[in-house]
Amino acid sequence: MATTVRHALPASLSMFAFTVAGLAGLPLAFVAYMALTAGTPVWSRLWQTRIPELLLNTGALALSVSAGTLLLGVSLAWLVVRYDFPARRFWEWTLVLPLAMPTYVLAYVYTYLLGIGGPIEQIWQTWAGPDARIFPPHSLSGATLVMTLDTFPFVYLLSRTALMNFNVSFEEVAQACGASRLRTWFCVTLPLMRPAIVAGLSLVVLYVVSDFGAVSLLRFQTFTYAVYQQVSGRYDHAAAAALSLLLVLLALLFLVAERWFRQRSRFYQTTGRYRAPARKALPPLGAWLATTYAAAVFAASFGVPAWLLAKWSLAALAEGALDARFLGFITNSLLLSGSAATLAIAIGTPLAYVATRRPSTLHVLCSQAVYAGYVLPGPVGALALLVLISHVAPFWYGTILVLIAAYVLHFLPTGLQAMEPALQQVTPNLEEAARSLGYGPAGTLRSVTLPLVRGGFIAAWVLMFLQCMKELPATLLLRPVGYDTLAVRIWLEASEEYYQLAAPSALLIVAVTIPAILLLVSKDWRAA
Amino acid sequence: MSLGQRQRHDAISGNPLPDPPPGPTVLELRHVTCAYEQGRPAICDISLAIREGEILCLLGPSGCGKTTTLRVIAGFEPVTAGEVYLEGRLVSSPDSLVATERRRIGMVFQDYALFPHLRVLDNIAFGLHALPKDERQARVSTLLALIGLTGLERRYPHELSGGQQQRVALARALAQKPAVLLLDEPFSNLDPDMTGKMREELYDLLLRTKTTAILVTHDHEEAFAMADRVAVLRDGRLEQFDSPEAIYHTPASPFVADFVGQADFVPGLIENGTVATEIGSFPNQKGFAAGTKVVVMIRPDDVHIAPSAQGTARVTARQFRGSENLYTLQLPSGDILHSSETSTSIYPIGTLVNVHVLATHTVLFEQGRPTSA
Repeated sequence: MATTVRHALPASLSMFAFTVAGLAGLPLAFVAYMALTAGTPVWSRLWQTRIPELLLNTGALALSVSAGTLLLGVSLAWLVVRYDFPARRFWEWTLVLPLAMPTYVLAYVYTYLLGIGGPIEQIWQTWAGPDARIFPPHSLSGATLVMTLDTFPFVYLLSRTALMNFNVSFEEVAQACGASRLRTWFCVTLPLMRPAIVAGLSLVVLYVVSDFGAVSLLRFQTFTYAVYQQVSGRYDHAAAAALSLLLVLLALLFLVAERWFRQRSRFYQTTGRYRAPARKALPPLGAWLATTYAAAVFAASFGVPAWLLAKWSLAALAEGALDARFLGFITNSLLLSGSAATLAIAIGTPLAYVATRRPSTLHVLCSQAVYAGYVLPGPVGALALLVLISHVAPFWYGTILVLIAAYVLHFLPTGLQAMEPALQQVTPNLEEAARSLGYGPAGTLRSVTLPLVRGGFIAAWVLMFLQCMKELPATLLLRPVGYDTLAVRIWLEASEEYYQLAAPSALLIVAVTIPAILLLVSKDWRAA
Repeated sequence: MSLGQRQRHDAISGNPLPDPPPGPTVLELRHVTCAYEQGRPAICDISLAIREGEILCLLGPSGCGKTTTLRVIAGFEPVTAGEVYLEGRLVSSPDSLVATERRRIGMVFQDYALFPHLRVLDNIAFGLHALPKDERQARVSTLLALIGLTGLERRYPHELSGGQQQRVALARALAQKPAVLLLDEPFSNLDPDMTGKMREELYDLLLRTKTTAILVTHDHEEAFAMADRVAVLRDGRLEQFDSPEAIYHTPASPFVADFVGQADFVPGLIENGTVATEIGSFPNQKGFAAGTKVVVMIRPDDVHIAPSAQGTARVTARQFRGSENLYTLQLPSGDILHSSETSTSIYPIGTLVNVHVLATHTVLFEQGRPTSA
């Protein structure tokens, strides 16, 4: 019985997987080809004018944001897992909300907050004298602040899960061996959390290196911003490809290093059992400090920005911002994101099926190739498609089809990550049981497989839809003339410092993202 | 074989208890109560003392409070009433709690809790960081030799078998020469085939290192094989604290009797200074007044049967256990009694038999008390 079911997997499915993998790998290969054939003059010019600065800036930003998120993420996770204080549950959940705030939205709010004559400077001046200055938003410090506040939940969430799964026997046995609290923390707890912390930090670094929204609004020169400038301002595709290749190599180098490190520090749980650590109630002063700390981080990363967006939106609405044009942006966003997510599910289903059911080297390689879209930062993927389309099918240039293709290429990995586990949960035995009960392949798919994977697939669709809604650089570079989405409007208006005009779109994006974030986190919480 | 080397008390039935081995008291619990929730103590009014070199077993079903008692001794749980003295020093009371790391205890956890990021060597040396380097190394090699794992010091815990992991955990706990070693269900994570051998090894090691140890278990055979004295706990209370032999032969309550081995309880009545039951009369050891309703605890190994056409009891089941046959008998009243016969005596089901009980091994309880949990 089992063999017949396996043989029933049609060869066309494999062919389809190969085709998709090939198509997904094509843009990256093309960018690499362009970069390598760009010629010495382009490379030497870039080396003399741009590359050292970009390397330094990108590296410095990644490093400082890592330090910041490490500090915030681990300390907050420690606080909410190990201690009890008023409204702890509330803070535990709200601290993930910054994930709903696209970097360009937070960056645009902070250009106002930190700007000359802005609220923070005013407060600072009443305290430190009228000539006192704070760091400007358009700087390494500004970019660090924005990116740290936006990405610390990655480290927070993973550290929190690690701490909740932590076998408290390790700490108790250290104490029984005569180790002080401090020594226990540094010699036992922290080393055992290290894999989770490293995983969180690597998410942060990948996010920072491929971010375009915040650095472009803060005018901080990193690789993504430079690639965008080369494509949109100078129309220098060769230089853009060269910078792109460096950026992709940087990301790959980092991924390899991270994987190597993770393999070295992989810890094997020696037993399956564990006892959860007891939560310690904080004394009044400690509880007050903990609440203040959590509230301050929340206010800076989500509370104050959301409140400002709401305030500005109301003002904008009063001036009649909710007109037909605005509704048009919403329609564009919904249409683009909806069709891209649907197409990605359609393409992803056979891929995920092949990868989970017939995990041969070739099939796994296929799904790995699709994951290449992940390390292609937005502007790079857009550049690749732009050049490819103008060479292969120029008549498609400037249509929404190219944009949808860019979205699928970029976000299919996210979708696959949700679809593959869903498919894995349906063991072949279940399908075989259906076959043994007289169902054909189609009937089995309809009455067993699909109902079981529905939840995971819906989650994948929602995730990809939201990421498309937020997508900025590819949309900026590939959209048909005048075809603006919410994300594009936010960026355009924020670039011109029209804070109020940008607010309704930003608020809308944040509002639709929140439920999805909470859903994801609650799943993660249940798995923990 | 090593089990036999130890000075053991002979099996004495019904006689007064032998004294515990002499030596200074290392640990003493005085009326200790520990409650996780208000009004629902996990352990209540526990008093016991352990002498140097002694091995004590905390025995009881799951949820009886034996692990809590161990954690109170380790200092992981505060006491809500009573005191704990370790080496003559007050370490736990409702007002004061000496931190675990200042107690000089060793602990072997049920899951061993070997640090997965440290090698065997560093796991064992974890508690020795205050020693100079060469002294530490010497101590670790001694311990490695003691547990027979010399040569494996550079391995990580996940590269060891379950038994080896347990020995490393033991060496780590013994490294700092603790005043008392605490072992939480040390054999529950091992393959059943291995436990017998590991039990002997552990016993031998404890004797050689003259370690005072407290061992938590729910297995009475393990407790009997290892312990000088056994403390039986039930619902957070100390039910009996005695030598293994006394626990088995003169249980303080029907619960203890039932928990440490198979036992039947036959109802009887005090008449003319003896206990009259349907299977004969027994001595009134506890001097109950005439007319008192009692139950007589009888273990299967004290019951012998002989087939007879005039027999009053009937065989209803036979369980072949290799070294013995365990018969279930139905008495005229409908009560059930068990009998252990030799491996070769086989009677078919339905056989009528005469029942003989070795009267010296019976124990009396007043009726009305619960017979088992």
